[in-house]
Amino acid sequence: MFRSLIEKNERRSQLSIMAQYLNTCFMISTVDDEYLISIEKGNVTNVEEGPFVMPSYIFKLTASKNEWLKFLQSTPQPGSHDIIAMLRRKVLKFEGDLHPLMSHLLYFKLLLASLRPAESNNEN
Amino acid sequence: MKIEKEPITGNYGKFEIDGVKHRIYWEEAGEGIPLVCLHTAGSDGRQYRALLNDKKILKKYRVIVFDMPWHGKSSPPENSQVGHYKLSTESYISQIMSFIDGLELVKPVVMGCSIGGRIILHLAIHFPEKFKALIGLQSAGHLDPYYDISWLHRQDVHGGEVCGGIAYGLMAPTSPENDKFETMWHYMQGGPGIFKGDLFFYKFDGNIGTEIKKINNSKCPIFLLTGEYDYSATPEETKSLADTIGIEMVKMKNVGHFPMSENPKEFLKYLHPVLEKIN
Repeated sequence: MFRSLIEKNERRSQLSIMAQYLNTCFMISTVDDEYLISIEKGNVTNVEEGPFVMPSYIFKLTASKNEWLKFLQSTPQPGSHDIIAMLRRKVLKFEGDLHPLMSHLLYFKLLLASLRPAESNNEN
Repeated sequence: MKIEKEPITGNYGKFEIDGVKHRIYWEEAGEGIPLVCLHTAGSDGRQYRALLNDKKILKKYRVIVFDMPWHGKSSPPENSQVGHYKLSTESYISQIMSFIDGLELVKPVVMGCSIGGRIILHLAIHFPEKFKALIGLQSAGHLDPYYDISWLHRQDVHGGEVCGGIAYGLMAPTSPENDKFETMWHYMQGGPGIFKGDLFFYKFDGNIGTEIKKINNSKCPIFLLTGEYDYSATPEETKSLADTIGIEMVKMKNVGHFPMSENPKEFLKYLHPVLEKIN
């Protein structure tokens, strides 16, 4: 579901500039599946799919698969269009050290939105 | 290429708010019924650039938009210090009423968005006789905190970046990217701690409980319009508010928390009939 984050680096050159000093590793969970995502200088350098025995990460975003699918629609419905909107509906949980996420909030929003079908891609 | 000049005039003026000297910036355009517009938390009057350029509105309304103290081109009050800003209900009411009195506006229409959409409810409770009508955009009686606002002002996070990131998500994915970017840009230009300080009013001090029942729509007509993509003040919350007051609300499609700024073309379709009705 989130494997293709690594496949779009070419298209995300502008996005990488927004996070050029960011090096981190975070996890996205759909409850049943987990994805460990590595970022170096704003580029996604690795996406590893679980299950994991002892995963190490800085922060974690957890929502059900269904909620992530709604978020990834080409034109998501109100309440599913943004990770803070999902937080507000209590369908997404932020955990861990949130500093990398909050200090690069727009970057992470656009990174995840880049997985939406191209016609409504929100990259700047 | 010749410059296409807009009909907007910018002004600076000095007056006292609660006995403290302020230097305030405002813009205006048009002639007729005064329409005072209130911007959202952490932003400034540029959000109303489309209204200030709308020929149809300017024929019948004198549109006036001021930057709150600490915001946009308005100065902080005398003897201010960075990090000490906190908007209270009382001070917000004072600055609006002082501005209206200072410009000697008689029975203006006041339209506010977000925190502005909240304060018009307080104005409706306390001064209904002073206004021809009140328009609330993204109005809700209260808001429970749903994220930790301390992230908006801490020295190890760039305030402009995080405030922009928060504002971006509040807009509809269907709004034009250029308008969304400019709306976000205003947030990126706010002073340290100002957005957070405004949210003290929005999430704590300005919450209205049962007092909302004191609003009497027959004393001053109230209009409520809310964008469907807003998750801060949701259409459901505005509907609940409207039901308590006993009025209808309008749910605006394809817009979020900043209708006048993120998608002016769509917003004006909803605003024109309201202004026609007031006129």
